[in-house]
Amino acid sequence: MDKRIQLLDAIRAIAVKTPMNDVEVPESVVGFGTIEYKAQTCSACKKCILACEPAALDMEDTLNMHDYLRVTVPQEGFRSKNREVLVTLLQNLKQDHDYGDVQAISVPEGLPGYGSIVWSAEQCIACDKCIEACPEDCLTLQKTYKLPEIIGPIEAPPPRTEGKDWEPFIVCFVCWECSHAAADLAGLMHLHYPASIRTIRLPCSGALEPIHIMTAMANGADGVLVTGCLLSECHYGGDSPKAGNFMQEGFVKFWSDIFEEIGIGGRLNIDFASAAMGIKFAEIVETFTEQIRKLGPTPIQAKTEVQE
Amino acid sequence: MKKLILCTCNKTLTKWLDFARIEKEVGSTFESIHIHDALCLEEGLTFLDAEVSKDDTVVIGACTSQIIGVPLAERLKSELVSYVPLREHVAWVHKDDQKGATNKALVLLNDAAIHVDFLEPQTAVDIEMEKKVLIVGGGIAGLKVASDLLQLGIEVTLLEPPEFNSKDYLEKNQFMADSSTLKGVVKDLKTTSKGVKKVCGTISKLSGRAGLYSVSLKRDNGKEEEILVGAIIIATNSEHSPPSIAKMCHYGKTNQTLLLSELSTLIAKQTAKESKTIFVTQDPSYHDSSVAGSYLLREVTYAAEKGNTVIVAHSDIHTKDENLYRAARKSGVIFIRGSLEKVSKKKKGLVCRLENTLESQVREFTVDYLVLQTQLKPWSGTRPLADTLGLNLDREGFIKTRYAKMKPVQTSKRGIFIAGNAKTPMNLNDALASASNASLEVFKNLIADGERKGWIPVVDEELCDLCDACVEACPNDALRHEGDLIKHIPMNCEFCGICVSACPTRAIEFQSHSKDSWLTRIESIATKHKKLEGQKPFSLVYACSECANASIDQAGFAGKGYPTGSYVIQFPCAGMVSPIEILKGLVVGAEKIIVAHCPPGGCHHQTGDHLSELVVKFTQDMLKSIGQDPSRVKATYMIAALPNKMQEEVAHRG
Repeated sequence: MDKRIQLLDAIRAIAVKTPMNDVEVPESVVGFGTIEYKAQTCSACKKCILACEPAALDMEDTLNMHDYLRVTVPQEGFRSKNREVLVTLLQNLKQDHDYGDVQAISVPEGLPGYGSIVWSAEQCIACDKCIEACPEDCLTLQKTYKLPEIIGPIEAPPPRTEGKDWEPFIVCFVCWECSHAAADLAGLMHLHYPASIRTIRLPCSGALEPIHIMTAMANGADGVLVTGCLLSECHYGGDSPKAGNFMQEGFVKFWSDIFEEIGIGGRLNIDFASAAMGIKFAEIVETFTEQIRKLGPTPIQAKTEVQE
Repeated sequence: MKKLILCTCNKTLTKWLDFARIEKEVGSTFESIHIHDALCLEEGLTFLDAEVSKDDTVVIGACTSQIIGVPLAERLKSELVSYVPLREHVAWVHKDDQKGATNKALVLLNDAAIHVDFLEPQTAVDIEMEKKVLIVGGGIAGLKVASDLLQLGIEVTLLEPPEFNSKDYLEKNQFMADSSTLKGVVKDLKTTSKGVKKVCGTISKLSGRAGLYSVSLKRDNGKEEEILVGAIIIATNSEHSPPSIAKMCHYGKTNQTLLLSELSTLIAKQTAKESKTIFVTQDPSYHDSSVAGSYLLREVTYAAEKGNTVIVAHSDIHTKDENLYRAARKSGVIFIRGSLEKVSKKKKGLVCRLENTLESQVREFTVDYLVLQTQLKPWSGTRPLADTLGLNLDREGFIKTRYAKMKPVQTSKRGIFIAGNAKTPMNLNDALASASNASLEVFKNLIADGERKGWIPVVDEELCDLCDACVEACPNDALRHEGDLIKHIPMNCEFCGICVSACPTRAIEFQSHSKDSWLTRIESIATKHKKLEGQKPFSLVYACSECANASIDQAGFAGKGYPTGSYVIQFPCAGMVSPIEILKGLVVGAEKIIVAHCPPGGCHHQTGDHLSELVVKFTQDMLKSIGQDPSRVKATYMIAALPNKMQEEVAHRG
């Protein structure tokens, strides 16, 4: 699970503002999400905790009375008969239906069968294992990422002053099938595009890991551009939704939203060009360079400075 | 057929209960109603022989089941019977309110009519037992158990600890009695226990169940062995250990300071001429037991009789035998009340400074020997042994008995017993008595033919979440998580129902006492009460069937009346009550719910008293959080010796 911690550290390192909003996770993106918990149906069996590999779940000796009272019985199916009866009885006793000030109560030590699950957003890898393990259906996966909770407060770095001769510096990840060939073709065709990009060849755009994007940013790149084959034409998956470029498109959308939240919005982009599209490749680079030029130099204090 | 049989207790109950009205008003609930005048007498029993057939369900409205239940258990052909103690719970406690009492009788009879509908025949349990016994610890109690069981024809293996030596019988047990008595007893026991298989080693693992335990033994010669036994008796010894003042007294630094257990060896070596001054002191922080006190007196008498000057600095000497003290005085022992303050080593001897608390004077004694009273602690291997066997220990580290009053030789685990010093330091007679008690108890268990019957918990695999709550809650290791199943071990089960209250999903149900049965009964009591008594408040007492129920019966015998509108529902154990039953009671309108359990630490099933307190506390917290009055729910203990407990608990309502 070190990988997740590394990634989160890398995001924290490039963040220049405290994120305020949860980020929506695109449908194709796996590994990120929120586990929602229904306390009222939970039998405290700890199955989910045992199933959770990154130890993102734990048991707390409390009973969430608020959830108990709010729920509608029997619409929200209870498998556990005892819990359903308990909830119904409590609701019956609380006749005023004013649940505003109902507090959670603690479970006395030595009383088995009661407890609440606490979920740690930071550790969770949204793998579904807990949901599969839960016999009472109290867990569901929501496609949102609790970024503010995970990243925490960020101290804004001092503004950077750049010389007049600043030119955008963009790391461009190209897949070694179409988009690399497109870049070659652009050269063969003697097309001009800004000298802002440094290409890094990858087997497939889908092979790009987020840590690489973060590393590029952390090391002073003003922007990161990802290019791949045309959608539906990925050499590793074709038109399957699992194809590398489809997948990376979702991820880049996700990371762009996160960049927006951490104060470096607009500095990440993905686009696609086939081997025959030298012109398109040049245009992609030109447009993105223009975008970065407008945004100005990266606000991130680069870890490495080029030695004179 | 559902039958109601009422008893007027020789026409005495008619004074307080309107039987004609009862007959009229419960008529529709039962298919037949009979009123008899003396159900407990032979004429009544003969009547029942003829009246009740095997397929009937029966409600008996008479005296407490503790009384009428005994002859009826043998004579009633039907097992499906519910008792309503009209005499102790109604007539005798509501003497000044015939209408109210009759109303209460109607409510209870109506409840019993519902109760019998839920009854199932009891389940017969597999009682296969290995008729062999393992005794751990070969001391005096161990030998006594071995020789008793041998005489009763039971095969016995005696496991002696690795460091055991046959001389230990006398040396390590001298605190138990004077040496000549001890010698005689040891000699006798060695003769009568001849033929016992002796093994030296330790227990490395225990598996199986009560009556069929598989014990892995690690023998001294390195061999591992597995034996099958029906019961295990722990008869380990007590050990002497230096008191807390040992360091101050230079114990271990000089051979002039010694422990009480070493004194007799020293005196035995003495020649007649060397008279010494011996200062014996107690540890003021150690609570003296009668065993330790008697031992101290015997030893100092022996030393004084040999011509030594013996001074005893004491704070509190306990003994059951006053003659020991007289003998000590007669032999010339000097007793000084006070505690040792300082000991310094000088050339002429040890100088002991002592504050005499009677005279408020500081005195100094120069002595040849300083003798420290020892503390009697459990055998050093007790804790690992208890861990391997899964036994509970008490505060001092001795093995805990299941229930001090009624089950003094049983441990927290069924099929494992204790004898002698394993439980607490004992003198010789007590140890021998405890050993005999243990061997008889084991014998009774092992030869129990006939069947063991009871209502058992039944696990529904479909609904089970395998959360282990029942396994954790079960005080008797009767539920085990094996593979993907919760397995019930009937021979370990005490039929208490604690597991049911722990289950969060209702995957475990108790025969005859399903969750639904409780909920239906609570509701019907409320409905019937409201029908008969209107707005009059009522309270429910969830009483355990042991102490609490006996206490409520006693309230009847002692005439400790209380208002009507108080209904007792009997649970097998108070630990079976979950928040659900309590909340249900409140929802149906009970003014107060009282969960009555055995006295603290006195639960017949070990944990029910504590668990019910937890459940009530938890329920009170829930009530508080939803803005309800938590004082409507209460847990309390009731015991037969306190018949007014019920009166105190429900009498608040004028």
